[in-house]
Amino acid sequence: MVERPTDANPAGSRLPPKDDNEARLQQRLERLGESLEAHRAAEEAANRRGKSSGFAQATKVASEFVAGVIVGAGIGWGIDKAAGTTPWALIVFLLLGFAAGVLNVLRAEGKVAEAGARLREPSGQETQRPNRDGDRSAP
Amino acid sequence: MAADKVDPIHQFHITKLVPINLGHYDVSFTNSSLFMAATVIVATLFLVMASSGRSMVPNRWQLVAEMSYSFVANTLRDAAGKAGMQFFPLVFSLFMFVLVANLLGMIPYFFTITSHIIVTFCLAMLVISTVVIYGIWKHGFHFFGLFVPSGVPAALVPLVTMIEVISFLSRPISLSVRLFANMLAGHITLKVFAGFVVTLSAAGVAGMAGSVLPLAMAVALTALEFLVAFLQAYVFTVLTCMYLNDAIHPGH
Amino acid sequence: MDPQAAKYLGAGIATLGMAGAGIGLGTIFGNYLAGALRNPAAADGQFGRLIFGFAVTEALGIFSLLVALILLFA
Repeated sequence: MVERPTDANPAGSRLPPKDDNEARLQQRLERLGESLEAHRAAEEAANRRGKSSGFAQATKVASEFVAGVIVGAGIGWGIDKAAGTTPWALIVFLLLGFAAGVLNVLRAEGKVAEAGARLREPSGQETQRPNRDGDRSAP
Repeated sequence: MAADKVDPIHQFHITKLVPINLGHYDVSFTNSSLFMAATVIVATLFLVMASSGRSMVPNRWQLVAEMSYSFVANTLRDAAGKAGMQFFPLVFSLFMFVLVANLLGMIPYFFTITSHIIVTFCLAMLVISTVVIYGIWKHGFHFFGLFVPSGVPAALVPLVTMIEVISFLSRPISLSVRLFANMLAGHITLKVFAGFVVTLSAAGVAGMAGSVLPLAMAVALTALEFLVAFLQAYVFTVLTCMYLNDAIHPGH
Repeated sequence: MDPQAAKYLGAGIATLGMAGAGIGLGTIFGNYLAGALRNPAAADGQFGRLIFGFAVTEALGIFSLLVALILLFA
């Protein structure tokens, strides 16, 4: 809380003195908005991590995993029914569904980025992966 | 008298109140429909009455309404950004519907509509079809880029895409199963412990004394169920926001 | 025996294989938890291996589920 004014003031004095107040005010407002946003996001994340009880987390992870398997089996069964390729599509899609279920679990645990997020910043994931590998081999 | 007829599943039976048949379809007005209508009416009345005062210093009702508004608005803004606010009516309606339905279900002898998977599945399908339709309308074919991850060897792309598609399709299932399973399990547990009280207290003085334990458990579980009712509505809302985020920003 | 009944019995027996996967998962997560409590600092680094073990073990359970599903629906 104390840091914000001291943070904003040097930035304000860094600007040319004849710059009109309007632009400086705008800039300061933007920075305030940003820091508020970051603060709220951090608070929200901390709240979420602390609040979710063990049971809630367990049902979350289990339902994510089971849903992947069920959807895979359902798709395979539907393809089998439509194309008459029993039981091959069921086998293939059940295993794919299993993989999707593991992926869902990893996403729910936040260990793999969301599909959209990974598209948005592929470099972020690339830098994160070696980091975790390094951690793993250290001890 | 009812000691031998404690059936924890009985509370989920659907009964026809007004039988209606349209052609070959049975569209009867059931107790489930009644409580869905009641949920909508209660939520609407609550919000309209609470916000009708519009005083600068809110009274308790208005404060609760404003808190639920800002709570959902913050959740949506955090997950989907400013562009997500166009979906606020949908998300807020979903949140209020699920929350009021869960809380109404906590009243004894009331029917819990969210303990039926078809209801929660329809809610989840509403969310997912909104995501898919808005995504395709806004981004066209580019929306399907969500399923093709970058930085994967070309030989693995079909496999990974398939897995991503299944993972996407499993969202409505996991969304609905989670809400449904939590409500179902909670209400069955509550009923089982309440049934212990009835059975034990029918067995004389010693049973009466022994029934204090399951009674205490039932009271504690009721408190827990109120927490779960709120938590599941919140989880449903958060996941809705996250999925909407995919539709608004499917990668650039 | 009625072939239909034999099919259902077979499917039921096949799902018993999931019990093995359940035991395996219990071992994996139990040992992970024991290790994580001894050395919490190393716990996060081993999460990837935990999920790998979970996936491999659960895959074997999925095979028995697959056999049951094939018996039932294929």
